[in-house]
Amino acid sequence: MAATERKPGGLRLALAAACGVLGVAGAPAHATEVSTGALVYAEPGRVKAFELLADGTHEFASGNIGTFRLVFDALTGASANGAVPAKNAQTFTSPSGGSGYTTAAGETPLDTTFKDTRFAGSGGLTFPWGRLTKATVGAYGSFESDYTSLGINGALSRDLFQRNTTITVRGSHFADSVSPMGGAPVPFAEMPAPTPGEHDDKAALEDDGEGSSESKGVTDLGVGLTQVLTRRTLLALNYTGTNVTGYQTDPYKILSVVDGTTGDPVAGTGTPEMFRYESRPDKRSKHVAAAELIQNLGRDIMTLSYRWYEDDWGIKSRTTEVTYRLNFQPTRYVQPNLRWYHQGAADFYRRYLVQGQALPEFASADYRLGEMDAVSVGMKYGTKLKSGNDLTMRLEYYKQTGNHAPNDAIGNLRDLDLYPTVDAWIANVGLTFGKQ
Amino acid sequence: MTVQVQRRPDGWLAAFTAMASPCEVLLDVDDRDEAASLGELAAAEAARIERHLSRYRDDNIIHAINHAAGRPVLVDDETAGLLDFADQCWRLSEGRFDVTSGVLRRVWRFDGSDRVPSRAAVKELLPLVGWDKVSWARPSLTLPVGMEIDLGGLGKEYAVDRAAQLVSMRTRAAVLVNFGGDLRALGARRDGRPWRVGVESPDAAAAALDLELAQGALATSGDARRFLLKNGVRYPHILNPRTGWPVLDAPRSVTVLADACTEAGLLATLAMLQGRMARGFLAEQGVKYWVLD
Repeated sequence: MAATERKPGGLRLALAAACGVLGVAGAPAHATEVSTGALVYAEPGRVKAFELLADGTHEFASGNIGTFRLVFDALTGASANGAVPAKNAQTFTSPSGGSGYTTAAGETPLDTTFKDTRFAGSGGLTFPWGRLTKATVGAYGSFESDYTSLGINGALSRDLFQRNTTITVRGSHFADSVSPMGGAPVPFAEMPAPTPGEHDDKAALEDDGEGSSESKGVTDLGVGLTQVLTRRTLLALNYTGTNVTGYQTDPYKILSVVDGTTGDPVAGTGTPEMFRYESRPDKRSKHVAAAELIQNLGRDIMTLSYRWYEDDWGIKSRTTEVTYRLNFQPTRYVQPNLRWYHQGAADFYRRYLVQGQALPEFASADYRLGEMDAVSVGMKYGTKLKSGNDLTMRLEYYKQTGNHAPNDAIGNLRDLDLYPTVDAWIANVGLTFGKQ
Repeated sequence: MTVQVQRRPDGWLAAFTAMASPCEVLLDVDDRDEAASLGELAAAEAARIERHLSRYRDDNIIHAINHAAGRPVLVDDETAGLLDFADQCWRLSEGRFDVTSGVLRRVWRFDGSDRVPSRAAVKELLPLVGWDKVSWARPSLTLPVGMEIDLGGLGKEYAVDRAAQLVSMRTRAAVLVNFGGDLRALGARRDGRPWRVGVESPDAAAAALDLELAQGALATSGDARRFLLKNGVRYPHILNPRTGWPVLDAPRSVTVLADACTEAGLLATLAMLQGRMARGFLAEQGVKYWVLD
């Protein structure tokens, strides 16, 4: 029977391909597209992260669009705990409180016990809302052993002037809860000595009635404008205001307490060196404005973007990025990108505390809150496989530098690197498939 | 050609007649002149394809091919593309879809009467049917003497795709091109709603198909009014080119939703040629379809 010998599933594909050759191929009537990717982030000698992600979009026959995203992250390695290097070896208590780790003389103290996995998922639905307006609603959830974030979001966008202009208004709210290993430390409390036998006991660092779980609320409101300038030029402008309330201190970051003359660590209560937990305000409001210009150059596409950021912690940053997509063949491209970043320090950022001086209201030695410059150089390659799926590969190098030797460094600290350079390599592979 | 432009609740409608069918282009634009000029563009393309592919004319490539008396004919790119496509369809359908089967119409006239041809009359024509007897090496086509080709089985759906593409190159607005029930939608309208599409049933007793479509194409194969009836046997107009006889148990009509109209039309035709296997065939293709028995 001829009817059973054929491979009809393939028949439709062959017919669709033949329509393509004939020049009448259509966009899929109902499209489902799934992208998967794997990413490796590595700071040599420090943090390594591995991430798997899957993204999907389904266009329903009704025109509604559903999206989902699933992410799995694993983080291991060492990260700077905030303490300054010293001319002698230093000993720290791990966050679980049960054990300690030692940093050699002259080395930047890194917490080597850092390890976590994260699982995050989100979904959204875009649908028409009245004439000319599209609405999107979505939900988000992210889970780590010591951190949970749950969020909802919504957006309305409206096309104007024969679709040459799109205005979008969006908002989201996240409710986060932090349950630090060993409990949330009291601000500026001294880091205690390790307590062997009690490892992983969350109560180890808890102090008179401090709960071990803290919460944070993040509310974003944004507006965006996308404007078609010419047939080949698109401009996108965005503003987002964010209000964060609640626990924002990093429970694993500490500050060294040093002698006001020698700059050496002073002895703590039952410990050879004194370290105090950091303290950050419980309110933060952020403002981000961004402009992106996309220019179609015929064969290639160039994107220029500038991002302006300020918050009431005193951090100001500027990001400039340029990407150039070189479509050297109809189904292949390379896309180099360059990014420059400059950030000013938070008002309460300080490299250490000085013994005998009154404690400030807030202080953190987290290098991410310090003044820094960063440059990223990357290259992406994309190709269409014979199966019709899209494959992309990307490699990026990131270098972050800060002030190694601040002018006001005290005593022996003048000879030590107070803001080590951080390098990172980012590699990822992505595959998009599943187009019906 | 006259193109009539009318205001519709969901945009402007440009209507004209081509390929013996009522043709419509629905446009989600505000400006009447823009709608008229886009409608004229679609109408001109439909007329061009009709002139180019009609077997009833004596000034086109089809006439030149069918009257070449065994000599090779060099064809233009568009015709070559359609012949390549027809060649693919013939292979994929194992000879069921055949652009040389038109000669069978000399004995089969599906006019509702009981004039079923004799076995001998059909058999006599079979040597003139079969794409495998044709020599096709792009751009040169050679038909054995007495054979004919007819691209009419592809023409209307192809015209829908071409017209839709031409219009979409001129506007970012949503467009619905509908040539006699074979149609293609390009994008949801500005209010986000899909096009409301009604496909008339070939059988007055059956309900018309009513669906919403934002992107994609719909084509129908089958015409319940074209049949022969003799001794209680109904002979539908779907002919199996390998036997020269109608596919007796073919559904009355098949409608398919696919990405392009040409694709939908071919799938509908191939399903009809499968006879009572039509549903199974369509289900295996993973397309949305409607079958009327």
